[in-house]
Amino acid sequence: MTEMTYDASAGSAGLRRRLSTLAAKPLQWALKLLPGIALLLFWQWASGRLIKEIYVSKPSAVAQRLYELFASGEIYPHLWTTGQELVLGYVIGVAGGVIGGYALGRSPRLARIFEPYVMAFYGIPKIALAPLFIIWFGIGIGSKIALASIMVFFLVFYNVFAGVRSVDRELINLTLVMGANQRQLTYHVFLPAAAPFVMLGMRLAIPYSVIGVIVGEFTSSAQGLGLFIHEASSTYDPAGVFAGIVILLGFVAIANFLAGRLERRLLRWHSLSGAGPIDI
Amino acid sequence: MSDRVLAFEAIGQDFPAPGQRMNIRVLDGISFEVDRGKFVAVIGPSGCGKSTLLQMAAGLLIPTRGAVHHRCRKVTGINTEVGFVPQQAQLFPWKTLAENVELPLLFRGVTAGERKERVASALEAVGLKGFEQHFPSQLSGGMQKRGSIARTLVYRPDIILMDEPFGALDAQTRMVMQSDLQSLSMEAGATVVFVTHDITEAVLLADHVVVLSQRPSRLLANIPIDLPRPRNMFEPFRNPGFEAAYDAVWTEFRSQIDIGRVH
Repeated sequence: MTEMTYDASAGSAGLRRRLSTLAAKPLQWALKLLPGIALLLFWQWASGRLIKEIYVSKPSAVAQRLYELFASGEIYPHLWTTGQELVLGYVIGVAGGVIGGYALGRSPRLARIFEPYVMAFYGIPKIALAPLFIIWFGIGIGSKIALASIMVFFLVFYNVFAGVRSVDRELINLTLVMGANQRQLTYHVFLPAAAPFVMLGMRLAIPYSVIGVIVGEFTSSAQGLGLFIHEASSTYDPAGVFAGIVILLGFVAIANFLAGRLERRLLRWHSLSGAGPIDI
Repeated sequence: MSDRVLAFEAIGQDFPAPGQRMNIRVLDGISFEVDRGKFVAVIGPSGCGKSTLLQMAAGLLIPTRGAVHHRCRKVTGINTEVGFVPQQAQLFPWKTLAENVELPLLFRGVTAGERKERVASALEAVGLKGFEQHFPSQLSGGMQKRGSIARTLVYRPDIILMDEPFGALDAQTRMVMQSDLQSLSMEAGATVVFVTHDITEAVLLADHVVVLSQRPSRLLANIPIDLPRPRNMFEPFRNPGFEAAYDAVWTEFRSQIDIGRVH
């Protein structure tokens, strides 16, 4: 409020400052993009000069390949399969992690019994389970969903578990004295308190779900981006490999964007803590 | 009989000591009463179990020996008829100030219209009108404390338990808060049990000062303070009779501070 009135009265000085803040954002973006562009240019230049193109391809070839893949529609079945696996694996993993983490976080008795088991399973490199999951769930999307969801599950589980356990005992007691029943306690205290941890787990889990799905597809599959990348690399087609990786990057970027939106909505109070306190 | 709101009867409490077979005896045979509309301050050296007494009154802890009676009913579980103001403000950081104050009413099934009205009047009473939509992190320590008090006043508890509520505030804010608390409790005719380690605060606020000893804690004295109200919180020594009242409490308390080498 004070900012606006100041700007209106201060005339040219305020205008200049506003212009400089307007210019600041594109400038920041330019600075952000600069290293990326430099890297691409170097790659383009070095390919065929410093390193053989058959090893590293080059950005223009990757872009060309991406265009062909989408124009011919060749990539769509792969996209659809991998997309389904990612979304289902992620959702199942997150849901399981939230429920499991919440249950164990709320009940010290359950936690005492199950924590060592969960710890033991957490220690297993989940990727080693890929061949087993193919046997159990077949070479279709089931095995990939299983692998992705189990990787996501543990990340979310541990974060939610820690989040629920970190709730101040005094705050819980206070809420009970205020007259809350167990359902109200869950809704008004435990879930909001755990929300930042849930969000952290969900963000961390995004790349892991991609790893799970791609490893599953590498191991054995009939369709999917992992298979596409695998085939491209085994036929000495680096442009195809990079094209596949770019598409995966796209998936991760979209997921991160959605998670960021959700986080801003759920954790409005959390991000506001930076605002200066107002004294009486 | 109807005047007696809260009665502590021969309260004893043991806590398990880490790494030892024997329990530590914290409270030993403490009895005192709180009458309706009275302000009782409980004072004692640190670690003597003052806060434990409040937890018992709220039903969060059942005493090892003896019992707490609230309106002639033995407290055996969470006592939702009391209000609890903790040392830290403990507002819910994910709720706005208005939502925080509204919460106990929501738990108690008060209708939406009445909730809105009572939240507004509670916030006005503690001087936080205009900050309804602020989150606790956007408020100063003193304002959070006011919010915490409003959240307790709003459901008009039968008795208000305060656990060193002003301990963490700076000296100026604290005097203002003490003064406001005095006028609030006088207006509402509230019954208050106020735990503190500050003799001046106890003498200025209370109708009765209960003095506890070092662990294992016994009741040393229950001293009535008959200073006229409203009392001047900013210049304690200007209250006629303050010196004598302070002296009466200090005489009992002094011995405890001398022994108190180990905290």
